[in-house]
Amino acid sequence: MNRPQGPTGDELRELFDLAPAYALDALDEFERARFERALAASPELQAEVDSFRAIASGFGEAVEPVAPPASLKAGLFDRLDAAPQERPAESERADASKPASPAPVADLGERRSRRRLAVVLSSAAAAVVLLAVVVVGANWFGPNGWGAQREMTALAAASDAQQITAPVTGGGEVTLVTSVEQGRSAILADGLDELGDEHTYELWYIDEAGAVSAGTFDVANDGETWRILEGEFAPGTAVGITVEPAGGSDQPTTDPVAVIQT
Amino acid sequence: MLGSVVDVAELSGERPRALEDLLVATAAGDRDAFSALYDATSARVFGLVRRLLVDSAQAEEVTQDVFLEAWQTAARFDPERGAAIPWLLTLAHRRAVDRVRASQASRDRDLKTGIRDLAVPVDEVAEAAEIAIEHEKVAEALTSLSPAQRECISLAYYGGCTQSEIATRLEVPLGTVKTRLRDGMIRLRDVLGVTT
Repeated sequence: MNRPQGPTGDELRELFDLAPAYALDALDEFERARFERALAASPELQAEVDSFRAIASGFGEAVEPVAPPASLKAGLFDRLDAAPQERPAESERADASKPASPAPVADLGERRSRRRLAVVLSSAAAAVVLLAVVVVGANWFGPNGWGAQREMTALAAASDAQQITAPVTGGGEVTLVTSVEQGRSAILADGLDELGDEHTYELWYIDEAGAVSAGTFDVANDGETWRILEGEFAPGTAVGITVEPAGGSDQPTTDPVAVIQT
Repeated sequence: MLGSVVDVAELSGERPRALEDLLVATAAGDRDAFSALYDATSARVFGLVRRLLVDSAQAEEVTQDVFLEAWQTAARFDPERGAAIPWLLTLAHRRAVDRVRASQASRDRDLKTGIRDLAVPVDEVAEAAEIAIEHEKVAEALTSLSPAQRECISLAYYGGCTQSEIATRLEVPLGTVKTRLRDGMIRLRDVLGVTT
């Protein structure tokens, strides 16, 4: 089938493997955002998700109902005026009833713009949650802390998000996700060697003027991690990864294990 | 196409078709319909959210957010593809899980250092299914899973854990958790005869 935007081959197989975990909401923020980008372009994947969701909601229905306090409903209805509704879309509904057939390419753009709209619409409610995160999570500033997770979610949902995967010398691969609109990029590392305490992976933005450090990262024994790059991403910049002494270096001291040209 | 799980739920006889009509009317801005929908479904949503969050005040906030999202996005509900309760519970579960992860900000760190023991009974899927006897097909299907598969699915759905968190908690490799979740869910799908 010819769907230029949809995932294919190995990637599609991997996404199918993730569908049960996605339906259980067991993917972390990065995996979820990546999965949902593919989901928007793959009716087959959507059908797979629907079948597992049917089972998951069976677990939900098995939970004993508990009546919420009456004040909750009044509070809810007070909020409706400030909560614009998405408009019913007959065209999408007709399309969605046949999830196994490939979506016309023209529809994909429309669907994406609707998804973006949904993100905007839900942001008011989300802000409440985010505020709670900032307050409660203020003592956790790890490199993949809540701030980074939010940035990653935003990046993965960017309308102009691009992703490029490249092999890493020594094993594994790295996927670069970029958004020119947001001036940001991130890497997802998979299958990389663990470097131990004395070395670290360092990220570099590379252009004609040279290499500028974009932060460091380490991988645990499963070889997987992700990192938002420090600094501004500009189109045409290359992203490199080198192995450096722990703590990182000001300039690369070894040959890169991966370079991704954007 | 949501197949037999939906049918199983309908056997319980407590979900009149009207809920789907109410949700469709909600999409058109009908507040009376939304009010009736809320009255008929809020206990299910609140029950699920509270199960995940435990804390009642947070569960109330999230439940309100779930219904606000339902109000805003009801246009995406398609009665051809499924019933109203599963649609609402999917929204509810997602939001509850997000809140679990957000409000337990130190959870990752705690899990890693093994300080904190999450109060999640490991076999809650089976237990919950036993409580709700009308879901006997789900309960029966669960018995076809290995205890390890049930445990992983339970930690994911009722514990709100990511795959990595489950791996840390159970001290097994991430790949093992992924396999258990995937094989377990595929097994349930086969046993329940849900078609894709």
